[in-house]
Amino acid sequence: MFKNHLKIAWRNLIKRKVFTAINILGLSIGFGSAILIYLFLCYHLSFDQFHENSDRIYRMTTQENRGSIEFEPSVPPGFAKVFSEEYGYADKVAKIVDIDGYIIDVENNGSTEKYKKDVAFVQESFFKIFNFPLVNGSNMVSLSAPNTAVITENEAINMFGTLDVVGKNFVFENDKTIEITGVLKDLPQTTFLKANIFISFENLADHFEFASGEFWGGITSNLQCFALLKPNQNIADIETALLELPKKHRPNSKNDHTYRLQPLSDIHLNADYGGLNPIFLIVFGLIGLFLIGIASINFINISTAQAFYRSKEIGIRKVLGSFKQHLFWQFLTETFLISLFAVAIGIVIAVLSLPSFNTLFELQLSAQSLFNFQFIGFLLLLLGLVAFLSGSYPGILMSRIVPVLALKGKLNHNDMGGNSTRKVLVIAQFVISITLIVSTLVISKQIEYAMNTDLGFDKESIVMLEIPDDFDAARFNSLKERLKQVPGVQHVSGCLGSPGAADSNWGTSIKYNNRPEVEEFSIVVKVADVDYLNTFRIPLVAGRNFFKNDSITEMLVNEKLAEKLGLTSEELLGKAIEVNGGDIKANIVGVVKDFHDGSFAEDIGPVFIAPNVSMYNEIAVKINHLNAKNTLEQLNTEWSKSFSNYIFDYRFLDERVAEQYETEQRYLSLSKVFSGLAIFIGCLGLYGLILFFVNMRTKEMGIRKVLGSNVGNILRLFSIDFLKLILVAGTIATPLTWYFMSQWLEGYSYRTEIQWWYFVIAIVGIMLITLITISYQTLKVALANPIKSLRTE
Amino acid sequence: MLLKLNNIFKWVQSGGQRVFLLKDINLSIEEGEFISIMGPSGSGKSTLLNVIGMLDDFDEGEYNFLDESVHNLKEKHRANLYKQYIGFVFQAYHLLDELTVKENLEMPLLYSKKSSSERKSLVADMLDRFNIVGKKDLFPSQLSGGQQQLVGIARALISSPKLILADEPTGNLNSKQGEEIMELFKQLNDEGVTIIQVTHSKKNAAYGSRVINLLDGRRI
Repeated sequence: MFKNHLKIAWRNLIKRKVFTAINILGLSIGFGSAILIYLFLCYHLSFDQFHENSDRIYRMTTQENRGSIEFEPSVPPGFAKVFSEEYGYADKVAKIVDIDGYIIDVENNGSTEKYKKDVAFVQESFFKIFNFPLVNGSNMVSLSAPNTAVITENEAINMFGTLDVVGKNFVFENDKTIEITGVLKDLPQTTFLKANIFISFENLADHFEFASGEFWGGITSNLQCFALLKPNQNIADIETALLELPKKHRPNSKNDHTYRLQPLSDIHLNADYGGLNPIFLIVFGLIGLFLIGIASINFINISTAQAFYRSKEIGIRKVLGSFKQHLFWQFLTETFLISLFAVAIGIVIAVLSLPSFNTLFELQLSAQSLFNFQFIGFLLLLLGLVAFLSGSYPGILMSRIVPVLALKGKLNHNDMGGNSTRKVLVIAQFVISITLIVSTLVISKQIEYAMNTDLGFDKESIVMLEIPDDFDAARFNSLKERLKQVPGVQHVSGCLGSPGAADSNWGTSIKYNNRPEVEEFSIVVKVADVDYLNTFRIPLVAGRNFFKNDSITEMLVNEKLAEKLGLTSEELLGKAIEVNGGDIKANIVGVVKDFHDGSFAEDIGPVFIAPNVSMYNEIAVKINHLNAKNTLEQLNTEWSKSFSNYIFDYRFLDERVAEQYETEQRYLSLSKVFSGLAIFIGCLGLYGLILFFVNMRTKEMGIRKVLGSNVGNILRLFSIDFLKLILVAGTIATPLTWYFMSQWLEGYSYRTEIQWWYFVIAIVGIMLITLITISYQTLKVALANPIKSLRTE
Repeated sequence: MLLKLNNIFKWVQSGGQRVFLLKDINLSIEEGEFISIMGPSGSGKSTLLNVIGMLDDFDEGEYNFLDESVHNLKEKHRANLYKQYIGFVFQAYHLLDELTVKENLEMPLLYSKKSSSERKSLVADMLDRFNIVGKKDLFPSQLSGGQQQLVGIARALISSPKLILADEPTGNLNSKQGEEIMELFKQLNDEGVTIIQVTHSKKNAAYGSRVINLLDGRRI
């Protein structure tokens, strides 16, 4: 019986080539997208699942309360030791400190190669907590002695050209010689750990004393602390027990710490602690469902519309002894066959588009991960679901056909039923398309707004040059003077923290005008020289710029501080400010206009700007963009004269600002690609439906033409039905999209408005596409000689 | 007694009025009869045939088929009954276009769950008997009208029904083909199959043993 069903199904598919092609094409795109999305979701959900004790591994985090609550994926440097020695919860505790951009010299065959590398300083026990084995499979990493390191296979090949590097040395930061004691297997992509070079924690003190010590005064996001808990621990109890730590170790701090334990599995997908927002995955999943849904709707629409042509077959089968369930399963077999083809093509589509997908989302997914049992299970499930969902309704409809009417040819299209269902489904498709188009518009407008709105500072043609720690005031000043002489250079300013660098902002406490208590809010520190305002074109609103100096005597603040204190800008002038627990103390000499330091999702906060040459880590150079290439080369030359042992590295400020909108950009690419696909699949279905309607009404058109109707009238007759459906869809989609996109925009402190014409564009656009689809088919029939269509009856 | 109709009425509602399709039909048919139903267009011939074939309902009266009261049966039982005992032949042949001759013949057997070997031998017998072995792999569209009707009859006979219902079986055929089909019916009837045919043609009706005339849904 099944074989017979299969045979019939195959011949039916061959016979109705156009419809089959539309169905298969739509479904394959749906399947292809679903497969990609599946890979994407699997990738993000599989982070750090491979560690032997992953359910017992926790990251120690801090909830900071300074008027508002902030989450830090880190703890004070002194925490680890206390947690491991004074409490009995953990088997092992380890600290790791990631720092970017160190200079490493590797000597190979007599020649020395310089690299700039990101490095992690790590305690040996780290490798006992996690499964990051050495190439021989053991976890006996040896890092307890100073000046030792382990590197990954990849890095070994990269730096030495061989895996046989144990015992070899490299020079770190032009200073210490470090011996490699082991080679690690390459880290999987699906781990939080991104470093390739791991240096003994003992070396950290030379480079970042605060992170290396047992301090409790603050938190650096470079440091992470992990613990492997003993089995069967109650996390809530541990967190309660830790509540005493801030009182003990930071008795006078206004910054109220609460320490928390974050499960390893939570790290990748907790936006509070800098992970990916899981909503992103949900949106992704929904889009996958939408696409499959749209393709299934096509299938249902076309099949129910086609039912009429098959009524004779069904009538005969019923008379010859078929039961309803036979017909139902026969039809399902057909759907299954189509879905099977679609899955096969879908896999091909997915594999072919994987490279572009990877580029778009900066992933390295491989097609190999497709061929495992889990994936086959997913595919079968999807296949079954789609075949059943899209096959059962048409199946039921067809099995209901009354044989006498069907055989007498007395069945008309309305008897077949499914007309209103079809309309509802078409409306659903239009709703999805309109929603996706409007969402795309809103997201792109918000990004455009963020990119093009005046941020309060100049970000164009500003090159940020990194400078190493290793310099003094004289060296800095001479470099600055030489950079100023380079043709094409307009302004030069040394700083720690350019505007728009909120990611690396240093926020700290502030005490205003010798008040007894520090303020409830924190202030962002921008350490910069006298040319900061010129270089970034930040206007003063009151007072003056500070005088040229290498250390702090005067400072600038922004208007926001005045607002927070409830004062006018003028009132701030001449007042003293203490920052960072009294480390920095100076008088306010000027107030600058507020500028957007972070993305538009963040409020502008209080900022102060003051000079301190020893803290600068970047030089901002405003250049004339016309001859940028030459200018950059000369900047390199001058820079290298001062820092001959280091590697010249620069970035344009506008790129760095654009990076703040990375997530948004991804949302945008996502919604662009998938709304395009959704519209395409929707159009395929529309084409199929229209083809069917035109066939069905050929006779009607013939009669109308004989009675004097012209082509235009006929076209209008057809279009109006569909246009009505689009209007209904628009009415449903508008409030829905308005609501959800308003919610999305709520997340931005500075945002664009949703404009009514986005909806007009979407609806009119869909109407146009529909009209074009309709016109082609309709014109073909409308222009034909009516005698033909009438004679065939 | 093969079947018996008592006071059968069938009507449709049209504009608040009952329009009778069948009016007080009484009919009993013995096994082995060859009956022709005649009458002008719209007289209810096909409706009567469909009622006998249980493809269509009636509104009033009694219908007994092989001592089963059809009017008391649920739809599923009724379907079982006609699938077991009745074969249908149509004016427009109603072969499945997507199936070959052989597959068309095999289809009713698939639904009655015959084994594969049984199906093969029955289909081979039928092809043999109707002299269409050479055509077994052709599709209906590759056959002439007469040949298609031949296949239609073979398909109706393959599950050895007691009764063949034929609705104008020669209506789409030329006179020579028509004669051949009628000869075939005659021959089947001689072998013991009961046949009821609807026809317009007196000549065709003459092949039968009895003629039933209808006008406006009544026997006359």
